Amino acid sequence: MGMGRSLRVTRRRFLEQAGLSIAAASATSVTAPFISKALADTKSLSIVQWSHFVPEYDKWFDQFAKDWGTKNNISVSVDHIPVGNVAARAAAEASAQSGHDLFGWNGAGGAHLYRKFLVDVTSLVEATEKKYGKVSTIGRQIGYNQDDRTWSAFPDFYINFPAMYRKSMWDEIGMKPDTWDDVRSGGAKLKAKGHPVGISLGHSNDPNTTWRGLLWSFGGALQDAEGKSVVLNSKETVEAVKFVTALYKEAMTSEVLSWDDSSNNRYLVSGIGSMIVNPISAYRTFQKANKKGADDTFVMAPPKGPVRQIMGGASEFYGVWKFARNQEGAIEFLKYYADHWPEAFKASEGYNNPCFANLVPKPMPILSNDPTSSPADKLSVLQDSEQWSASPGYPGPSWPAVDEVYNDFVICDMMSKAATGQMSAEDSVKWAHQQSEAIFTKWHGKT
Amino acid sequence: MAVIAEPVAKPVSRFHFIFDRRGVFEAVLVAPAILYVLLLVGLPLLLAIYYSLSAYTIYNPTWKFVGLANFEQILQDPTFFDTLRNTFVFTFGSQLLGLVLGKFGAFLLLRPFRGRKIVRALIILPFAVPVALATIAWQWMFDSLYSVINWTLIASGILTREQAPNWLGNPHLAMLCIVIINAWRFFPFAIVIFLAGITAVPQDVIDAATVDGAGFWRRNYQIILPMILPIMAIGLIFGIVFTFTDLSIVFLLTMGGPGGATSVLGFAGFQTGIVSGDVAHGAAISLFMLPVLLVVVVFMLRFIRRREI
Repeated sequence: MGMGRSLRVTRRRFLEQAGLSIAAASATSVTAPFISKALADTKSLSIVQWSHFVPEYDKWFDQFAKDWGTKNNISVSVDHIPVGNVAARAAAEASAQSGHDLFGWNGAGGAHLYRKFLVDVTSLVEATEKKYGKVSTIGRQIGYNQDDRTWSAFPDFYINFPAMYRKSMWDEIGMKPDTWDDVRSGGAKLKAKGHPVGISLGHSNDPNTTWRGLLWSFGGALQDAEGKSVVLNSKETVEAVKFVTALYKEAMTSEVLSWDDSSNNRYLVSGIGSMIVNPISAYRTFQKANKKGADDTFVMAPPKGPVRQIMGGASEFYGVWKFARNQEGAIEFLKYYADHWPEAFKASEGYNNPCFANLVPKPMPILSNDPTSSPADKLSVLQDSEQWSASPGYPGPSWPAVDEVYNDFVICDMMSKAATGQMSAEDSVKWAHQQSEAIFTKWHGKT
Repeated sequence: MAVIAEPVAKPVSRFHFIFDRRGVFEAVLVAPAILYVLLLVGLPLLLAIYYSLSAYTIYNPTWKFVGLANFEQILQDPTFFDTLRNTFVFTFGSQLLGLVLGKFGAFLLLRPFRGRKIVRALIILPFAVPVALATIAWQWMFDSLYSVINWTLIASGILTREQAPNWLGNPHLAMLCIVIINAWRFFPFAIVIFLAGITAVPQDVIDAATVDGAGFWRRNYQIILPMILPIMAIGLIFGIVFTFTDLSIVFLLTMGGPGGATSVLGFAGFQTGIVSGDVAHGAAISLFMLPVLLVVVVFMLRFIRRREI
């Protein structure tokens, strides 16, 4: 009977048991504030940033941050997240007003978008400028706020997009891809030999960056220098789009329409592609996969256009959240990091390019003399890449409307719609202009 | 003289007004579920509605009321209608394919054969594998250079490299690819639904139909299918709701490309609201899903109710 009694579940018994369970569960949360207080007493610094394309850099950075923490009795944690998740993570941390102390952004968005959530780092940037020289133009486009002349982020480095070509293939046709016209005519000859040019026309960062560079080199641009109006619908842009259409038809294959950021690297390594435009991570990957092929791959400044020689660049910068628990520690870490920046440069194998003029004095290590490359000065052209690198807002500032045009792949689609014959060059430019203008109008009302 | 013990009065619980009233007690039991739905579904929904009527951005987190301005802007954007169309094609295309595959799969798994239990367990895998892993695997299969599908077609002499399909580069094929992947993820669920439905059909009904001369197709499409329609509709509601709101496959595989051919509402809302920081606009894009899903769900639930009656 007793047994039966104990097994019988009555409403009263159910409520008693459920109540006890809830009480037991909430007991842990009652103790939580005491645990949190204890943890808060420990000094800590948390950092989040993208998983670098050069994995060795992440290893170096983690150890570097840990060593700094040991010296200063601060427990440092570094989280690496895929580059595609950076924007979502930043939005989540800003919404929750909680997260890491130091946030590393990559590419479009960030410093200006999250300005109201970030600590003003003007004094830190100015102090670094005094020590290591002026911030480069691309560095300034990253975190500088023109309206009140403040810095909302610390410029870490920019990623340049040089051209990489297979020397033996181009030698065979007696050409070098110095200009965009050379790329088109030489590419057509090489395509006939089974070695097309490989520049993505898909939806990812590389085409967003490369086609902006080509557009600027033809004299076109998305916005004016003040960032007030969209100036895309111009004769120069139409010429650029017509050129891309011809380049696609004559020198490339339809594969490029589906590519992501790693596809052109694979295309080069496969021995099919004769030329790509990409950060040197493609070359470094090639060196590891096939030394002979990498030796035959040469790195050069981007091809010259009819108006100028220029290419897009991607930027990396650090912001300190206003809600960060250890703002002071984050600033101190950045100071220490800037003082040791040449080490970061070496660890990235020359991938991270300095934003301050004298941070890595020329001749730069690795780039001026890379023992793994043949010839050793193959990468020396990258030492001056700040002269031909610009951020997506060029010639104006980067601001949320520019980011949205970037994130919506408007420039890529303008090129691909014309290239694939979906629209004429003129209609495609008009379409892209309308799309961009709608985004600009929207943001002008919101900023 | 025997003494009869006085009955001991049981202490009355101070909560007897809850325990002893059936209506109140039921309400107490249901309350946590309602609270859960209100907090985790109702509140975010209200928040999304409010965001969509405001000028809220990450740049300027203001709650300034702007009425329907965000919706007007969206409706003026021609690419939005492409995105809406893509969402319908993606959702209904993958559900249709998933249902067809599910039905065939269920029939195959109903027949006894050696290793059926293992096959039944294995077939659930696409449903259980994390979407990120599965999509990356499919990405390699559709890769422009290393596609195993193309390699097989080329190696077997059916196509040359030049003729090989550009899976993710052609707008129609790219849409087909995301439909296939989603159908592949959905079809194990459809199999389970069909198996549950078919095994619930009384055997004597099927036997009677067989005796009356009904063949395989007639039995399936005029007897079994009408009987399992309600359970199939429930499965379909789940499939449609989850697919219509999904952005993961597009985000991982095509990023809406080529040229916006695979951009769907979930992806567009995420890109605008989260990546570009225009939360109000992103919320408004996402809210376009609500009336569509509401109509679909109400229609299907009414359909199920009628069938049951």
